[in-house]
Amino acid sequence: MELQLQMELDEGTAKIRLGGRLDATNAPAFQEELKKLIGKDVSKIVFFSEDLEYIASAGLRVMIFAKQRIGMNAQVYLIGAQQTVLDVIKMSGLDTFMTIQDSFDQKTQ
Amino acid sequence: MAQRTYPAELDSLEDMLEFINEVMVQLGADRERLFKVRLAAEELLVNIIHYAYPDSHGELSIDCSKAEQGEPGVFIEIRDAGIPFNILEKQEPDITQPMEDREIGGLGIFLTRQVMDEISYEREDGQNIVRMVKRL
Repeated sequence: MELQLQMELDEGTAKIRLGGRLDATNAPAFQEELKKLIGKDVSKIVFFSEDLEYIASAGLRVMIFAKQRIGMNAQVYLIGAQQTVLDVIKMSGLDTFMTIQDSFDQKTQ
Repeated sequence: MAQRTYPAELDSLEDMLEFINEVMVQLGADRERLFKVRLAAEELLVNIIHYAYPDSHGELSIDCSKAEQGEPGVFIEIRDAGIPFNILEKQEPDITQPMEDREIGGLGIFLTRQVMDEISYEREDGQNIVRMVKRL
């Protein structure tokens, strides 16, 4: 299954919608897309993940890349992730460093 | 025992994972275990694809079947004839590090080890052999 990807920058908030599978075969293309945000003023990186069915470490690395290259001080959000995807995030210890929400609420952290 | 051989290339990854998935469905694996074993297998296979044959094209073979011993489970054996590479000696990442300090790498095999119930490595007859079991 292919990765579905939509990206927009809205007043400092990078909104990234993910669907399908994020794995080693399509993570490089995802990373290329994210490179468009390098140098922009980004204070929040929001991964909308309701339709994301699968994530592997290649996908996690792109999320880490986003934080390191787009906004070292940006807050990373993971929105609406399915339980299986959330399990992988937790196994890798990344849940501690993300704001995990059912729906995007930028006022709370 | 079902065995398949594939070119050790990313283009074949989907076929490899589908093969394992099919066997697991036959064994009655639930959705969560299908997901987790797919993850574990992907991480391992991607490592082999990236590191086993640095200077040439090679193949890898996958055996996937019902676990012979113990509780019901799936047994997966992956062989390649590439350079000696013990994935179990790969350094584990520090998962307590915040994202900005994370080093890229090591996370994949770490996930494989977390997901699978048993995993072993052997170098035999010029092959790397990884055997793993997930209880169903």
